[in-house]
Amino acid sequence: MKALRFGSVVVAAALASLVLSQCSVVQQGAKILGDTGQISEKDRDSIVKTSEAVRSTFSEITEQEEYYIGRAVSALILSRYKANTNDALTDYVNVCGKTISYSSDRPETYGGYHFLVLDTDEINALAAPGGFVFVTKGLLKRCKDEEMLASILAHEIGHVASKHGLQSIKKSRLVDAFKVLGKEAATRYGSKELAELTGIFENVLGDIVESLVEKGYDRKYEYEADKLAVKYATATGYDPNGLGRFLKTMTGGPGAGGAKGWFKTHPSAEDRLDKVNSQIKGMGTVPKTLDVRTARFLQAAKGLRP
Amino acid sequence: MKRSHRSAVFAGALLALAAWLIAETVVVKVQTTSLRKDPKFYAAAIAALKAGDALEKLSSQGGWVQVKTSSGVVGWVHSSAVETKKFNLMSVGGTMKTQASANEVALAGKGFNKQVEDSYKSKHAGADFAAVDRMLKIAVSPAEVEAFVKKGKLAGSGGGK
Repeated sequence: MKALRFGSVVVAAALASLVLSQCSVVQQGAKILGDTGQISEKDRDSIVKTSEAVRSTFSEITEQEEYYIGRAVSALILSRYKANTNDALTDYVNVCGKTISYSSDRPETYGGYHFLVLDTDEINALAAPGGFVFVTKGLLKRCKDEEMLASILAHEIGHVASKHGLQSIKKSRLVDAFKVLGKEAATRYGSKELAELTGIFENVLGDIVESLVEKGYDRKYEYEADKLAVKYATATGYDPNGLGRFLKTMTGGPGAGGAKGWFKTHPSAEDRLDKVNSQIKGMGTVPKTLDVRTARFLQAAKGLRP
Repeated sequence: MKRSHRSAVFAGALLALAAWLIAETVVVKVQTTSLRKDPKFYAAAIAALKAGDALEKLSSQGGWVQVKTSSGVVGWVHSSAVETKKFNLMSVGGTMKTQASANEVALAGKGFNKQVEDSYKSKHAGADFAAVDRMLKIAVSPAEVEAFVKKGKLAGSGGGK
C-alpha cells in the first residue's frame, strides 16, 4: 500500500514536471526554456507576481540592480570631479585594472570593470558598486611605479568583489525597496511605485556616497580590501609590497592640506602598513618589482609631472 | 489501447524526471560575456552570451563552468558571470510558491532598473550620467590584457580564479 502510494507520488511528480516544463519557468534543464534559451515575457510577469519581500539583505541585490546603483553613484562622483582627458593614461589604467580583475574573486560583473582618472590633486581612490573604479591625478602622482598603482586598483577591486558599497546601504532602505518591488506585477512600474522606488533609490545612493566620500567605510572593510589587494596583486604577478610603499607615502597624515579625500575616509596609513607587512611576511616568496613595468608606468604618467 | 497510451505518458514523465535530475542549468547574470573555447579569459570566444541566457552545465574546473548553449555549442564561462544556484522547481504556476528569490527578480529585470534611473535622472540634472556612459565605453579586450601581461612579465594566466 505504502509502496503503491509512493509510486503514484513519483508519477504525479513526473507528470507535474512535464506540465511545468512546458508552461512555466522551471529553471532546470536548458530545453525547458524553449528554443531561444531566454525566458518569455509572460514568464517574467508570473515571476514578478510572486516577488513578495523575500529579499532582505544586500547580498540579494541583483547584479543588474548593483549596476544601476553603481551607475548613479558614479554619476554623482562625476558631478563633483571631472575625468582626466589623457586617453593614453586612461587606457593604461584600464588595462592594468582589468588584468588584476582577472585574478580577483570576481572577474565579471554585470557591466564589467571600468577605470577613470579624476582630474584633481586631491589624493583618493574610490569604487562604486559593480566595478566603476576612480583614482585621482593626485594619487597617481604619489605612485612611483606600476606596483603601487596596481595595489591601489587591487584594493578597489577588493571593495567591488566583496560588495562593500552595497553593505553600506542601511537595511531599512532594502526592506522598503523589496516591499515595493513585491507589489507590482507589470514589467514597468506605475507612477506611484516608481515615485516610491525613486525615493528609496535616492536614499540608497545617499548611504553609499556618504561612505565613499564623507565618512569612509567601516575600518574592517578597508583592512579586508588591503588583504585582498595583496592577494590579487600577487596572483597577477605584482610585488605586493607596492601597497606598503604607497601607504608609506601616506604616513604622517595629510599635512597642511587638511583631512580631505583619502585621509578623511581611510584608517591611518600606519595601522594599515603594519597589517599589510605582516601579511606579506607570512607569504614566503613574492614577485619582485620589475624595471620594465616601472618604465611603462613612468611613460604613461609622464604628463602628470611638472 | 488505453493502457499503452497511459504507459507512454508514464514513460515520458519518467524521462522528464530523469532529465530534471541529470541536467543542471546556469543562467548568465552579466550584461554580456563570451563563451570561451578553454577555461581562461584569453581563450578564443566561440559565442556571445547575454543576461538571461540559460546554459546547460556540463562540468566545472577552477572557477570556470563548462556549459552547452541552447544551440548546442559547448564552451566555458567564468563562474562569476553565471547564476549557479538552483531555482525553485515549484515556483511559477504552482501554489507552493509565494515568494520570488533574487535570482528570479534578476531574470525578470525588475528592481532598480532603467526606468528607476530615468526617473531619478529627471529629478537630478546635476548627476553626470553622460560621463558614466563615456566611462562604460572604455573597453579592454582579453588580447590587450594578454599583451600587457606578457610585456610586463606578469604571471596572470588569464585563468581567473
